[in-house]
Amino acid sequence: MLLLQFFVSGVATGCFLILATIGFSLTRRVEGFLNIAHAELLGVSAFTTWWLNSHHGWHVLAAAVAAIAFTALVGLGIARVVYDPIRHREPAVLLITSTGVAFVIGGALHGLIGTGIRTLDIGLAQRYEAFGLRVTSHQLIVVGLAAAVSVSLAVFLNRTRTGLAIRAMAVNPELAASRGVNLSATSRATWLLSSGLAGLAGVMLAMLATLTTDLAFAQILQILAVAILAGLGSLYAVILSGLLVGVAMDVSAYWIPAGYRPLVAFAVVIVVLLFRPAGLAGTRSA
Amino acid sequence: MNWPQLLVTVLTLGSIFGVVTLSLNLQYARGGMINFGIVAYFAVGAYTYAIFTQPPPQGLDQYKFGFGWPWWAAVIVAGLAALVFAAVTGWPTLRLRGEYLALTTFAFAEVFHSVLLNERRIGNGTVGLARVERPFGDWGPIEEKYVFAGAAALLLVATLVVFRRLLVSPYGRALDAIRDDETAAMAAGKPAQQMRRQVFLISAVPVGFAGAVYAMFTTLAQPSLFTAEVTFIVWIALVLGGERSVYGVVLGTLGLVFFEEIVRAWPFETVRSAQIAAAVEHVVTGLVFIAVLRYQPFQAAATRLRASR
Repeated sequence: MLLLQFFVSGVATGCFLILATIGFSLTRRVEGFLNIAHAELLGVSAFTTWWLNSHHGWHVLAAAVAAIAFTALVGLGIARVVYDPIRHREPAVLLITSTGVAFVIGGALHGLIGTGIRTLDIGLAQRYEAFGLRVTSHQLIVVGLAAAVSVSLAVFLNRTRTGLAIRAMAVNPELAASRGVNLSATSRATWLLSSGLAGLAGVMLAMLATLTTDLAFAQILQILAVAILAGLGSLYAVILSGLLVGVAMDVSAYWIPAGYRPLVAFAVVIVVLLFRPAGLAGTRSA
Repeated sequence: MNWPQLLVTVLTLGSIFGVVTLSLNLQYARGGMINFGIVAYFAVGAYTYAIFTQPPPQGLDQYKFGFGWPWWAAVIVAGLAALVFAAVTGWPTLRLRGEYLALTTFAFAEVFHSVLLNERRIGNGTVGLARVERPFGDWGPIEEKYVFAGAAALLLVATLVVFRRLLVSPYGRALDAIRDDETAAMAAGKPAQQMRRQVFLISAVPVGFAGAVYAMFTTLAQPSLFTAEVTFIVWIALVLGGERSVYGVVLGTLGLVFFEEIVRAWPFETVRSAQIAAAVEHVVTGLVFIAVLRYQPFQAAATRLRASR
């Protein structure tokens, strides 16, 4: 029974990981590099929500919407100023640059917020029981949002003009441009979308956990684990691998101390990479 | 500000991290391998040295092993341990290239960090191993810290000489050939995969030595000293110095350590202002990193220098 309970909370963890990773994978797919600073955007959003909510007394929903919009703009701004001028360089240079960006955002958060533990002013989560298993309302929100985001992202990428342009650019930018896709507009849309998704994940983080300024960076490990497992750049496999990593981490707490959670995430990754070097999604990594 | 003390610290730390940056340079600029988990090999060296020199556990100690060996033997073991760790982690990861390699090495370093944190039997968990042995006393009129700085600088020079010899040898030229055009090099009979693995192993050894010296310097082996931040700092130093120039790499490391030590040594009035200073240090480091990667001033200077000769 306890094992099943861990499984249930693992699903919720997995859904959070899906939200946190999907923007990261989208960037990798369209812009072609690994944006280590993605995790820091979660922090930007989480602390903006916290600041509006507990310092200025905004309702948590309004604060969340404002924080997501702000994070999307911050992400777009960073992309325009930092990444665009060096996008012709090899992906490793962009990857290393993004760790510099992570330093800047992380340092700014430390400087502005300071140390200490913070929580949102939203009251305790409600608990529901069914078949002897407990879930909290916060966990249900995360699961619901992850499902809604996955579905709407799929619809967006397959049905809308911008979505199709993003996919075309991901596969072959030159060909897409010659067929009339506006590359810089599409790139801007991608950055807004992926940073906005980071913002949403950041709000979830603020809701689920107590906030410290180190928290955002700690997420990058799990994001990387999920992204590698899925195969870098694939989007649908993120859903499967997010759930896999989340469940593996939480269920493992049944046997081994909870301090080993990140270790379990990477143990899964290393085992998978040994058998499928390109991740769950297979050879397709573009 | 106490300048002599500052300069000694910069020389010592700069030499230690310079060794790590040099090894990373060998892996990245010659072997084409992005190691984003270099801190783990450094930590292996430090912990091995601490474990092999410390006395057997007693009283409240939670660690299981302490061999009480002399320092020089422990330093050698530290290098070997880093080599073994490189062999173990290289086996599954080196089949991967580019960013997959970067991510898995990063993952290995984090896993190792979390083992050190949680497994108290290795090194007392978060508390770490304190009172690590520092081998040198005063040499006549010369104070111990100067002797130590000299020893660290000696390790750097030795690493520099060995790597330079290696890189100008036929072996080094074969490495360059593999980096520039792997297919052509393989057609000429160079075992690319095997040689890359050798570079990975060879370059881990000095990192292990440097870890041992770092443990002597701080007299402490603690998980909080070996976070991903060390990896990033070393990468920044590498990028600062220009990734293809061996001397540039050393200069870059010294410059970065100097900058950090100045911020650290600045007398701050309140805890909050020290906190803000630490945050600003992060921001400035990040900005320098971004700017150097974008404008590559040092590489441009090196190219001009070469052209004018």
